[in-house]
Amino acid sequence: MAVKKIKIQKELLDKANKYYQTAGYSSVEEFISHILEKEFNKIEDGDDSLDAVKKRLQGLGYIS
Amino acid sequence: MSDNKINRREFLTRSAKAAAGLAAASHLGNTLFAAPMIKNSKIDEKVFILGIDGMDPGLLHHFIQKGMLPNFKKFLRNNSYSPLRTTLPPQSPVAWASFISGANPGVHGIYDFVHRDPAQFLPFLSTSRTYSPEKNINLGSWSIPLKSGKVELLRKGPTFWSELEKHDIPVLLYKLPANFPVTEGKAKQISGLGTPDLLGTYGTFTLFTENKNENLGNLGGGRIVQVQSYDHKFQCTLEGPSNPLNKKEETSHTIFKISRDPWNDTIKIDIQGKELILKKGEWTKWIPVEFTLLPVFASVHGMVRFYVQKVHPFLRLYVSPINVDPLHPDSPLSNPDDYSQKISKKIDRFYTQGFPEDTKALSYGIFSDEEFLVQSKSVLNERLQAFDYQLNHFNKGLFFFYFSSVDQNSHMLLRTMNPSHPLYDPNAPPQVKNAIAYFYQAMDTVLAQTVSKMDNRSTLFVLSDHGFSPFTREFNISTWMVENGFTAVTDKNQYHKSIFYDYVDWKKTKAYVMGLNSIYINLYGREMHGSVLPDERDRIVAEIIHKLKEVRDPKTGKKVLVGAYDAQKIYSGPQLKIAPDVIIGYDQGYRISDYSVLGQFPHEIIGDRTDKWSSDHCMHPNIVPGVLLCSREIKKQSPALWDLAPSILERFGFSAHPLMDGKSIFKKM
Repeated sequence: MAVKKIKIQKELLDKANKYYQTAGYSSVEEFISHILEKEFNKIEDGDDSLDAVKKRLQGLGYIS
Repeated sequence: MSDNKINRREFLTRSAKAAAGLAAASHLGNTLFAAPMIKNSKIDEKVFILGIDGMDPGLLHHFIQKGMLPNFKKFLRNNSYSPLRTTLPPQSPVAWASFISGANPGVHGIYDFVHRDPAQFLPFLSTSRTYSPEKNINLGSWSIPLKSGKVELLRKGPTFWSELEKHDIPVLLYKLPANFPVTEGKAKQISGLGTPDLLGTYGTFTLFTENKNENLGNLGGGRIVQVQSYDHKFQCTLEGPSNPLNKKEETSHTIFKISRDPWNDTIKIDIQGKELILKKGEWTKWIPVEFTLLPVFASVHGMVRFYVQKVHPFLRLYVSPINVDPLHPDSPLSNPDDYSQKISKKIDRFYTQGFPEDTKALSYGIFSDEEFLVQSKSVLNERLQAFDYQLNHFNKGLFFFYFSSVDQNSHMLLRTMNPSHPLYDPNAPPQVKNAIAYFYQAMDTVLAQTVSKMDNRSTLFVLSDHGFSPFTREFNISTWMVENGFTAVTDKNQYHKSIFYDYVDWKKTKAYVMGLNSIYINLYGREMHGSVLPDERDRIVAEIIHKLKEVRDPKTGKKVLVGAYDAQKIYSGPQLKIAPDVIIGYDQGYRISDYSVLGQFPHEIIGDRTDKWSSDHCMHPNIVPGVLLCSREIKKQSPALWDLAPSILERFGFSAHPLMDGKSIFKKM
């Protein structure tokens, strides 16, 4: 998997370093990646994502 | 629920993503009717309300005149009737929210099936929102929620039953729309329109087919799965909800096996320890299915019905949307929490998804008209069983019972009794041509049963939220907005390929369409990409309304709209701030196209409707009024849906809530 660097505020990184183990992650990178993935999922696949709204309207029959 | 396991409901209510949001509603079941009775001369009143979604005044009179509805005829002879004004727009969630609150959308805040979050430019269904748990703990590949997610009912404003609850008047609300999750309190409730299936959708069927030529994949409202036979044996995977307890959120599933009789049209299904023998054309009753989320500790309970469409030469097995099992409700189906269990123990399991009639299966050609009708009749039969039970156990207070059959069948099959409809089939079987009459006749029987329970302290309301119109021409209003300079696009050659406003140039866009009857101004400071200054808003709204009123169908020369309106001028109330800017009222035969609802831009401005969903009500309220029958004299001229809440309260001796703008129908205005 290709890896790219991004900038992050020092305060946020300090917090991530402090909490990643408590949250059950093996590294700070895994912790931050998972938080980002969860946010993306909300948009792409979440219960209120565009896809979910479309599916619900389709289920009701008002759009196909 | 087994005692030696962690409480599953506890697990599930902590996870908003399991199915359709598992609300952490804390209901007051144990305190039901525990408070002392308050003396009130009208405390023993009985108010019966039959909510018949989509009952149309014209069709009602047509069937009465043909002698097909003797009980309606008799009732009308001795009682009161009026067409019932409905909301603008006449969409079910908007209309039923006005019925509930006795107020306009500015009070209850439901303006369309679809709303949008202006800050993120994301659409959401207007009646409820799901919030995920905020904190999780990770154990290996499992992510266990520590803090509860929730489902929130977005309908605001008063309800006609809250005052009754305060005075310990018994209330039953059976499948009342726009009320998911059900409200807390003393009212007994089973949730209706807005209640999702176990996948969190409003109904997703699965078709297992052996035919390699069938289109496979997810259709939206349905999915088609190809299966292969090995010596007439099949292994099928039924996908359940995504697993919120798994870090990767893999989809849960259950595997079942099918054995086919090589010579006869019979199959055997083995699913979770049960064996089902089915012939071609046969439906099962509800079969419970459990989806494991966390081995040993957590699972969700659904139920399905199987229908064998074909056995030879290719197997074709329809599986209904996975409904939440009312005997093991993992989402807030009822109030009190255990009420759905109590009812299903009495009448057996029942469809719990909001609209159970599988209109998508018919739209996609999975069902024929006849098959859709069979499924619809089974939905009605279930509902009638529940109605019998509830009516026979009702002694006093308020009784509301809802029927979806007329609405759903009118959407799909009204075309079959109208020779001038483009999708009319003169060779349709008689039962299909008579389908609408069948469901109206069922309501005729329901009316007679209700009347038989009435006494001199009773009042009966029979009402519908809207009527029906043919839907034969689709208006691609999103494209019209581009061609008239309201929505700007970055590439005139590409924007027709848009999936979701992809080519919209937000810096130059004045307004955009989202939802079935709504237009929003791209207002600076409100919208994510806002570019219109607030002092420009009224001028642009007026310009859109002026131009929309002039739109004509090139095929017929007819105007497409009855009117378009500035929401700030027609609504009032605390929720006005979230209103769309322009509300559109279509003329008979016209509605927004499916594509324009969520940001697609087809080439054509107006086209033919070819889907079997070919009658609708998302037009102008004058085109699709509802009906109101009442056992007491209706004195108010032109009564409206929002007049009913104050009228119901009046029957019990209570004043209308200050936010109710409706007026009692029992007073001359």
